[in-house]
Amino acid sequence: MPRLSLDSLTLHYQQTGDGPDVVLVHAFTGNLAVWAFSGIMEALESEFRVTAYDLRGHGASSVPPAGYNSAQMADDFRRMHDALGLRPAYVVGHSYGGVVAMHAAVLHPEKVAGVILSDTYFPGLRDLEPDMGQTDIWREMQEQFLAVGEEIGNSVDFSRLFQIVRRLTPEQMQGIKRQMGAAGARWLAQAGQLADTTAGEEMFEVAGLTRERLCEIRQPVLALYDEHSPFKATCRFLIENLPNCRADIVPGAKHFAPVECAETFNDMVRSQLRQWREE
Amino acid sequence: MSTKTQPEIIDDLAGILREFEDREYSGHIGPETQFFGDLGFASIDAVILGEKLEVYYGQKIPFNKFLAQLMQSGAEDLEVGQLAAFLEAELGRHHKP
Repeated sequence: MPRLSLDSLTLHYQQTGDGPDVVLVHAFTGNLAVWAFSGIMEALESEFRVTAYDLRGHGASSVPPAGYNSAQMADDFRRMHDALGLRPAYVVGHSYGGVVAMHAAVLHPEKVAGVILSDTYFPGLRDLEPDMGQTDIWREMQEQFLAVGEEIGNSVDFSRLFQIVRRLTPEQMQGIKRQMGAAGARWLAQAGQLADTTAGEEMFEVAGLTRERLCEIRQPVLALYDEHSPFKATCRFLIENLPNCRADIVPGAKHFAPVECAETFNDMVRSQLRQWREE
Repeated sequence: MSTKTQPEIIDDLAGILREFEDREYSGHIGPETQFFGDLGFASIDAVILGEKLEVYYGQKIPFNKFLAQLMQSGAEDLEVGQLAAFLEAELGRHHKP
């Protein structure tokens, strides 16, 4: 199984194809299966060398007790990039994966040739967004947990959520899975994995990726935001304030474009990567 | 390696799944067993299974492509028998001169 041993950390990854480097970074509480299920690795492998990896604490990577803010994750990216001998890479980040990608672009600009964001929320831009607890995603989850007698709260608190997930009875688990549908059930099966870590708090830390630092990112950025994104204000801010950023909308998507609208998303990513490659 | 029949592949899969990632599953594993619904697979487990299958059969298997096609066709789950049919074709393809 492809694993990288980086001191005390083990990162699970997959790599395919040949050409300029593309790195895929999944979302908080996700894993690289999102890229396997979406078909993006196959869509790109004839033209690019595609590397997808599990962030620390996620998927089949090791689960250290701490070190989950985006600065630390960007350092993991640097170490992964070095260990695999990658060239400056185009980095595609879904949701929190986009925070990691942008933080890597700031801290390790020689390793990041460009960034494609998918519906990313930035802790450093939190004043632009309404209470996260009011997003449809959290509210739906609130209802699904309430239906089995569990209260996850009105504000987004992942630490609390992880604890609740871990102590669900098999019956409660089945009840929630039925409501969540297939993709939600596959997510829930591993959502307790971070319960013994500080990830729930750390993912919301600005960790140095402030508004000012974001505005200094000179690499090209494509901001792909979903038609029904909860984070449209972030998208507007990025277009208006970053030196080299354009945006596009993924029709029909509600924060999970890579899987909700895989074919469209893959086409958009591929055509941007081709364009950057030619420049 | 010789080609394998679907029942042989299902036996292989049952063996792999019995001791899969510390999972304890004691129920019967047959063609209708669902990876997510019955075995409680998380999404990453499917990816790991693909990696294990390549090691087990000693050849590249386009498992992610198979998964992607399945998911994009709107399938909610994957049955052991479906995977066995896919593997039978892949192992046979590899075996052809």
